[in-house]
Amino acid sequence: MIAKTLRAGAALAASALIVAGCGGGGPKGAADTKISDGRIVLGVLNDQSGAYAQLSGRNSVKAVEMAIADFKAKYGDKAVTQNIGVETADHQNKPDVANTKAAEMYDRKAVDAIFDVPTSSAAEKVADVAKEKKRLYFNVSAATTTLTGTKCNKYTFHYAYDTYMLANGTGKTTTEQGKKNWYVVYPNYQFGQDMTKSFTAAVTAAGGSVVQSDAAPFPNTSGDYSTYLLKAPTLKPKPDVLGTMQAGAELVNLVKQYNEFKLRDQGIALAVGLMFLTDIHSLTPDALAGTTYTDAWYWNYDAENRAFADKFLAATGARPTFAHAANYSAATQYLEAVQAAGTDDPDALVKALEGKSVNDFFLRNGKIRAEDHRVVHDAYLAEVKPGSEVKEDWDYVKVLKTIPAAEAFRAPSADCHLSS
Amino acid sequence: MRWLLLAVGAGVALWLPNGLYAPVAVEMLCWALFAVAIDLLLGYTGLLSFGHAAFWGSSAYVTGLIAINLGWPFPLAVLAGALAAAGLAVPIGYLAVRRTGIYFAMVTLAFAQMVYYIANEWRSVTRGENGIQDVPRTLFGLDLSDEYYFYYAALPIVALGLFGAWRIVHSPFGRVLVAVRDNPARARALGYPVHRYKLLAFVLSAFLAGLGGGLFAMAHRFVSLDTLHWTTSGKAVIVVVLGGIGTLWGGVVGSALIVRLEDWLAFSGFEQVGLVTGGIFVVTVLLFRRGIWGTLARLRRS
Amino acid sequence: MTGFLQNTFNGLVGGAFYALLALGLAVIFGMLRVVNFAHGAFYMLGAFGAYVLLAEAGLPFGYALFAVPLALAGIGMALERALIHRLTRLDPLYNFLLTFGLALILQDLVKWRYGVQSTPYATPPGLAGTVDFGLFTFPAYRVFVLGFAMVACLIVWLVLARTRIGVVVRAATERPDLTRALGIDVGRWITPVFGAGIALAAVAGVLAAPMRAVNPLMGADLIIVVFAVVVIGGLGSIFGSVAAAFAIGLVQAWGEAYASQWPIISQITVFVVMAAVLLWRPAGLFGREENPA
Repeated sequence: MIAKTLRAGAALAASALIVAGCGGGGPKGAADTKISDGRIVLGVLNDQSGAYAQLSGRNSVKAVEMAIADFKAKYGDKAVTQNIGVETADHQNKPDVANTKAAEMYDRKAVDAIFDVPTSSAAEKVADVAKEKKRLYFNVSAATTTLTGTKCNKYTFHYAYDTYMLANGTGKTTTEQGKKNWYVVYPNYQFGQDMTKSFTAAVTAAGGSVVQSDAAPFPNTSGDYSTYLLKAPTLKPKPDVLGTMQAGAELVNLVKQYNEFKLRDQGIALAVGLMFLTDIHSLTPDALAGTTYTDAWYWNYDAENRAFADKFLAATGARPTFAHAANYSAATQYLEAVQAAGTDDPDALVKALEGKSVNDFFLRNGKIRAEDHRVVHDAYLAEVKPGSEVKEDWDYVKVLKTIPAAEAFRAPSADCHLSS
Repeated sequence: MRWLLLAVGAGVALWLPNGLYAPVAVEMLCWALFAVAIDLLLGYTGLLSFGHAAFWGSSAYVTGLIAINLGWPFPLAVLAGALAAAGLAVPIGYLAVRRTGIYFAMVTLAFAQMVYYIANEWRSVTRGENGIQDVPRTLFGLDLSDEYYFYYAALPIVALGLFGAWRIVHSPFGRVLVAVRDNPARARALGYPVHRYKLLAFVLSAFLAGLGGGLFAMAHRFVSLDTLHWTTSGKAVIVVVLGGIGTLWGGVVGSALIVRLEDWLAFSGFEQVGLVTGGIFVVTVLLFRRGIWGTLARLRRS
Repeated sequence: MTGFLQNTFNGLVGGAFYALLALGLAVIFGMLRVVNFAHGAFYMLGAFGAYVLLAEAGLPFGYALFAVPLALAGIGMALERALIHRLTRLDPLYNFLLTFGLALILQDLVKWRYGVQSTPYATPPGLAGTVDFGLFTFPAYRVFVLGFAMVACLIVWLVLARTRIGVVVRAATERPDLTRALGIDVGRWITPVFGAGIALAAVAGVLAAPMRAVNPLMGADLIIVVFAVVVIGGLGSIFGSVAAAFAIGLVQAWGEAYASQWPIISQITVFVVMAAVLLWRPAGLFGREENPA
């Protein structure tokens, strides 16, 4: 009898969940009903449970919160408003979820600007939503150049990095350092293919050549890259470097096996298309020692970066990746722009931001380009230290050289028509 | 009593986007069709398809592509998608119904995975991981850009689909299906071509799932590989079990609950969605096999 | 020639993982008539177990190889007693669903605790070199994996062929009705056999840890390939599952090596073969036609 009543209760309680969802209904109407005056809401939309949860994820939300706290502290009573909040949602790396969440953020949660959004397909979708709803969008964590190309729009800004920057940093510089023959392995999806195209162009322009490029299945269920690693030393001419465009768990796999097959000893160096500090932490520096890659920002580069990294460490227990730093920077620049303009009206802010030169700890020699809303800044060619040289936790990298902003990013693309 | 329930259901359906955020309401409609499609197979034919996302997703792609390239009004595009899904179901079903029970589930799962990989590879058509974007949503000039109005435009299609399922179940064909479910040997002995009935049920179920998938594509105006992934198939099964296997309407209730739950979880910042869904599912399978609808029906009877 | 041998060897190593998983799945199915969807999750837990032992207790690989499967077998047996056992008198579909739900839960629990970023597990120092086979060389660790997997399969085969429990498992797998009719008490062997199946999955996981990325999702897509493998081999045939596993491993490796311009080949081969098997031998290559359930 009790079991039956319990079950009935459970059934009814469950059904009540739907009713509890009330609110937010009704047609939207033409006018922007939800920009609430007196309150600024920053939305952080990213992956909090999947492959990118650590390189960005919850710690990016923390970074934005830190930015807000610092902004309030800086301006005190003179701040345009003290009522600044953060909303966050998990898009699970799924573009359709990102689409829904972005729309909900703008419509239901009164979000004035969305930040972060990793995963290129999700990022593009949010750009569409931002354009439709005429709200600001600062993409930090996605790499696709379409955000400043076919998908560019008035309200979208591409903040931290893109595939061109990665390819031209790593591809060009590694080739110039003498590693002329490349073997590229990439995951067989949009991002991997774009990266390979960019890398091939950059390597060829620098006088090198891609001997062979192979697409690994994506997702790679078997987790096995041995076929490619076995193939590498047998190619003619023998490659000087293996360029891998794998990301996240797949990168970790490939690097493990690269070490297993002792390719470095056979004279084939490793270049990584996209790497985050958290990947090195996962693999341990020794697994990646000597690998070069392009980094948008490194925490231990100088005292200014370190200061931020110390605050971040205190707040989260880990050192920041460039994504975390970029989110802080983007949030700060947004709030500064609101402060200067005295309003959170998106059109006014866009005008204020376009063409603006910015210099903060993340954006060195930075500028927000008016032509395509690409935020350019200095980038860095970095190399992973061997474990023996790592003096403190997370200090896995040494910066080999700075890539000036003008070189790091491509010229505005003809695909981008901002006025539309 | 039945008419009362129907009236209440219709009332809720008509009111829904006024109480809920419209896109969530539309999502509930799409998943309701998907769940009913699964239940048609599972509850009435006794076949657990763990790969139905192949039909949901392929219909979504076809619907999206037709809308973009041929500009058809959305109901026609969705219909085309559903027909494509049904078409895909013929060879898959033909091979799958040769096995029963668990084997059938595993085989459908494996075929769906194959469809997923093919779609991933066929980048020129499906745009791979990027998905198909900007699917136009038109109905003879009506402005459907606000999801609120789209809900009402889609509702008749959903109602027709649900009605269709109900009709199938309450028909001689439906009774044969139940006979096949309960005792295939006897059904065969009685002269019914069991494989053919199963195949037909499979294809009809795929059509319904395709209807839901096509509407899903229209609702999101975007189609991604996720629509073909086995976790989507799994979610549909969870919905049906939660709602009540073999109840048809349980699927509608289950889908409303799961859609709402996932929406709420994503916004509340709890990352482990699978933990909650899996937990509810395990509890349901262990203690609660009749599902919500089934349990409520039982209570009413006792 | 070297390349071909290396790729073949590689295929066998890949097949070894499928074989260990398929074997466990087949054995569990044979005794319990349960298709264990959570098998992939236990594989993942095996890898994480090795990681946890090393990272938090400093215990190395060799220790993990024996301790982790035992521990997970224990957990598996507890789950079987507590949950799976309740549903055995019902349609096996319910247990399939139950194990699916368990898989989701196990996966997310690990995600919760360890995040999704892969955690590192170094190749055990004693196995880090290469082995020279004369015609080709190969990483020592992979040779070890193949060797260990084959030994494990051999042990299982010996148990099945020579011991009382083995006879019971085979009888229950291949002729369930007859076994029951003859009054053989299968019941008390069910839980230990389930544990053994889980242990095999865990062994595969521990072996995988140095080779592949240890992350909560590592078993999820893999389990579907294993399902296809056992359908090909024939769920009722233990030998068939293992044979099919190695065969698929080989075909995938060759596909990747010699048809690299069509990466899809290695991905869908197993499903295409499964489709073919279903058309011509629905019971699987080595299976026996089951009475339609």
